[in-house]
Amino acid sequence: MASIRPRSLPFRALRAPTALRPTCRLHITPRSTVQQKSQFTRNHSTSSVSADEVSHFSKLASEWWDPMGHSRVLHLMNPLRHEFIAQCLAEGPPPADALSPGSKPANLHYLDIGCGGGIFAESLARTIPLDPAADAPTPTRAASMTAIDPTTALITIAKNHARMDPTVDSHLRSGKFRYLNTTLEDVLASEVESPSESSVTHPQYDVVSLFEVIEHIDFKTTTPEAFLANCLRGVKPGGWLVGSTIARTLPSFILNQVIAEAPWPIGVVPRGTHEWNKFVNPSELHAWSQEALIRAADTAVTRAGAAALEGSQWKCVGTIYVPGLGWKIVPGSEDWGNYFWAIKRGV
Amino acid sequence: MRSITRAAFRPYICPSCRHGIGAGRRQLRTQAAQSAEIYDVVCVGGGPAGLGLLAALRASPITSKLKVALVESQDLGKARGWNLDSSQFSNRVSSLTPSSVDFLQKIGAWEHLDTDRVQNYQEMQVWDGETGSRISFDRSSETPAFEDLQTVASMTENANLVRGLLRRIEASGDENLTLFSNHTVASIENGSDLQAEGPDLSAWPILSVKPTGPNAETLAPTRIAARLLVGADGINSPVRSFADIPTQGWDYNRHGIVATLALADLDPATLSNTRTAYQRFLPSLGGPIALLPLPNNHATLVWSTRPEHAAYLKSLPTPAFIAMVNAAFSLSMTDLSYMMGISQSSSDQTSHEDELNWRLQHTPQPSHIPPKAIGVQEGTVASFPLRFRHAAQYISPRIALVGDAAHVIHPLAGQGLNLGLADVAALSRTIEYAVSHGMDIGDLLTLERYSSERYLPNAKIGGACDLLHKMYSVTGQGPITWARSLGLEVIDRLPFVKSFLMKNAEGY
Repeated sequence: MASIRPRSLPFRALRAPTALRPTCRLHITPRSTVQQKSQFTRNHSTSSVSADEVSHFSKLASEWWDPMGHSRVLHLMNPLRHEFIAQCLAEGPPPADALSPGSKPANLHYLDIGCGGGIFAESLARTIPLDPAADAPTPTRAASMTAIDPTTALITIAKNHARMDPTVDSHLRSGKFRYLNTTLEDVLASEVESPSESSVTHPQYDVVSLFEVIEHIDFKTTTPEAFLANCLRGVKPGGWLVGSTIARTLPSFILNQVIAEAPWPIGVVPRGTHEWNKFVNPSELHAWSQEALIRAADTAVTRAGAAALEGSQWKCVGTIYVPGLGWKIVPGSEDWGNYFWAIKRGV
Repeated sequence: MRSITRAAFRPYICPSCRHGIGAGRRQLRTQAAQSAEIYDVVCVGGGPAGLGLLAALRASPITSKLKVALVESQDLGKARGWNLDSSQFSNRVSSLTPSSVDFLQKIGAWEHLDTDRVQNYQEMQVWDGETGSRISFDRSSETPAFEDLQTVASMTENANLVRGLLRRIEASGDENLTLFSNHTVASIENGSDLQAEGPDLSAWPILSVKPTGPNAETLAPTRIAARLLVGADGINSPVRSFADIPTQGWDYNRHGIVATLALADLDPATLSNTRTAYQRFLPSLGGPIALLPLPNNHATLVWSTRPEHAAYLKSLPTPAFIAMVNAAFSLSMTDLSYMMGISQSSSDQTSHEDELNWRLQHTPQPSHIPPKAIGVQEGTVASFPLRFRHAAQYISPRIALVGDAAHVIHPLAGQGLNLGLADVAALSRTIEYAVSHGMDIGDLLTLERYSSERYLPNAKIGGACDLLHKMYSVTGQGPITWARSLGLEVIDRLPFVKSFLMKNAEGY
């Protein structure tokens, strides 16, 4: 059922993740493709960012926050991301919790990689309490949010939208919520002003999120293991890397390629929307994550071994889009289509 | 259906034209905003629905921190101090279904009601004045033997409910709460983008709230911005007009007459804890008459009838009015129509009673007629027009409609207030979900959860009441009369169908 949308939606309200495929044929007039291209072809020579993807998302930008637009199903999925992170934190609480059991302060720092128009980043920033001493209003317990995306047009959209909510606007002004038009590699290359007791000099976060991102990474310039290792380098020991993507399996093929792309009135997305080869199976992701955990523990002079996996955790749960009911977390449906995954870094 | 329609046509509209549609109308009113205080929820209307929403938000630990305001043109202090002798009852009484009572208990408001003034009833007798076919509702099939019957509904004065909700809101403290009592909404307009100094409020409704009263003109209006503006402001909702939401509906050309009655002592044979609600359809007079129990052997009357009959009944002296009520439950349609026309100018003041007594001798009486009315509480006879309205949609960006602002239905099933409370329960759940998931509570994606939960159930109940009204407005012995009577008799003998109908009527 994953990719069937309710009939009441406009024809172009595609199932969210699929709407974002680079080959997606949307009825969007490429008004300023050329200028936009020049904006984002900043040379991230070492970056994992795919130039095709960046140009694609620039075109989608104008409708990003339209509740009836092509991002609708992505908006509908967003509350489940909060629930999934809450589940992860309940199963593997951050190490600081052991020191003060019982209290649940808003003390977690978030990094959202590939934030797009800010659907997840803004919603999480909204849960940051205005009073830092106050108890966290939600189980996600956010204290700050840093959201990055390589697409300039999207960061502009995201910032403009964030200003429409006074709470989020005040977080933007206070710096608790930041939108950066940059890449993960650039974030990791930056240095923290006040280095902690550890030897890590780049910023690290309690929760790093990769929602609907991994299938857009250009694996011609990087490998999945290397990209995930980079993500994990941004995760504090004991923190979580969470994400979501789509499986490349037979049920998923039937739903996404055969049914969803069938001619009207059965199909719900235009033909060629999906780029099948970029989908990632949970088992593949799990294997990459093991390798990435080890690589992330490498230092300049030493190679980490299997000991880096100690204390790590892997979590994976499927979600299904039921027309008329919205997204539901359905454990066991990981291989059918969309799923959430998470890696906890060992302490 | 503005936004939905737009969405449906979107694929056929060129993208550069798209942004202009719909946005323009509200943009026109944009003015430079002086600093407006920002609230999370602003509720216009302090009736049971508006106060219920506020009480529900204050009761939930997730939403209790929201900054809320309520604007009410009447004096809430007066409603808070409402007090009536235990032998007197207000004529505005509602039948609260068990699910409404559950909701009020859940939000901690029920304990603030004076439950001595609440009357539960366990049985309902409904019959057709034309054919005499009858249906009775009770929970006997679900109640174990030797136990009291379960409640079908609880008769509660609206003033008691409003006072209870106000007490509940008061008990939640005054932090993050502003009650604009004796205030009206002078205007609603869109905010503006504060550019460098502040947030972009160009899509936020900004209300100018003005005190009512003699020196109102001298006082400057207060400006408040609403993340979510809730219209609980009744049938002519200003919030609905601001949101440009059309309504569909019609007037029934009927009036509802209400009155508080004193009843004769109960028949000793039926002396038990069980109280019964009675409703008799009177097709030739245009609607049903209902007698709903109140404590201390009182009852509230709701008689839906044609405006000319309503005017006639209101003009009658008390003894004649009582005689007409008793006649409406016991005489045939022909006798009743005749009595409705007795000239008042006749000098004989007792003519209605004489007519009733004489005719009763010649009318066989079924077993299920209510106890006789013997008195009318002074000043409680009143009437109101019956209407049907349904808003085309309940939500718009940063706006939600609840209660009568969204739907007004025929009162024959006593569902109006219950639908309003169900709206409020659903909206407060939606806000709770939004707050705990980082959603903007005024966003359409948030509010559509509320509207998809409530729109169809409200349309279903409103439509069912409308259908009943229309079926029971048909006089004579034609096919519709035959069919409705057969239907009633059949349902009365099918316990499963009956309990399904009761479940629906009780809001479960």
